[in-house]
Amino acid sequence: MPERITHDDLMRFLDGELPPEEHARVQEAVAASTELGRELAIFRSMKSGFHDLSFHPGTYHRSVWDQVNEQLTRPIGWLLVVVGTVVWAAYGAYVFVTSPAELWEKLAAGAIAIGMLVLLASVMWERYREWLTDPYRDIQR
Amino acid sequence: MQPDLERELIRKCKAGDARFYEPLVRAYEPSGLRLATGMLGNLDDARDALQDTFVKAYEALHRFDLRRPFGPWFFQILRNHCRDLLRSRQARFKVETLDEGIEMHPADVEKGPERTRQRSAARDLLWRALERVGDEHREILVLKELQGFRYNEIAVILDIPEGTVASRLFHARRALRAALEEMGFRFAEVEASA
Repeated sequence: MPERITHDDLMRFLDGELPPEEHARVQEAVAASTELGRELAIFRSMKSGFHDLSFHPGTYHRSVWDQVNEQLTRPIGWLLVVVGTVVWAAYGAYVFVTSPAELWEKLAAGAIAIGMLVLLASVMWERYREWLTDPYRDIQR
Repeated sequence: MQPDLERELIRKCKAGDARFYEPLVRAYEPSGLRLATGMLGNLDDARDALQDTFVKAYEALHRFDLRRPFGPWFFQILRNHCRDLLRSRQARFKVETLDEGIEMHPADVEKGPERTRQRSAARDLLWRALERVGDEHREILVLKELQGFRYNEIAVILDIPEGTVASRLFHARRALRAALEEMGFRFAEVEASA
């Protein structure tokens, strides 16, 4: 390779990144050197190979927007639901504990509430474990 | 997308309205998918990476400088995310299910099944060679050859000086050439026509 043409020059020439006067200088050097010409031809051939790898994602892919939007907005929704539920549950518990009802009435009502919570938690846990091992969980319906 | 429109959308997103993020996602999705597929080697991982990156970018919008274009900033995040995935080995570069994602050129159909088969074999060879060159070489080749970015844009995305881009491209191309030759591809015809 002639001294005045560096590998960087060759790359810039190949990619059309040289100003016109530099471009002409490299073109002249390439025309005068078989070795440079050969190297450039190989790089050009690889470059053209990439054109066959072009994609048209829009024609075969659903947009990721729905999933992105879910991830952006759902946490806010969940946060509001959880905060609201906690506030109401705390208020309900306070009213329940300070109510003038008989002790046995409080115990019975408390047992029902705790029993329902335990059942709900066990169903949710079961569903979660099933989801973890579900081979079809990533399939888009 | 017009820079003014892009800036306005980002300003609204920064104010907390996620609805205005949709046009940005749709505008940058095709090129983002191309970049991620080139870096990760398959469409499923690329799609997941792209989705995560859009969420990350939205969450980082408060740090985004409105005087700069969104594209290079977003692609920088995407490239970093893909590199993290490759490093953590959650998604090793694997050439799978690529055919379904690669455009069929109309000319292929016109020229018959033999031409289609040849092009498909050439594509496969190139993907396999990209698999061999390593993550660092592959990313710059993808940015230049699949995405068509200019050197200044590549410099921003890779966070390197612009003067280094040509040198890194040279080494990447040389590595790709070596990989192709190792796989049995001969440049003899190309050399003869030079």
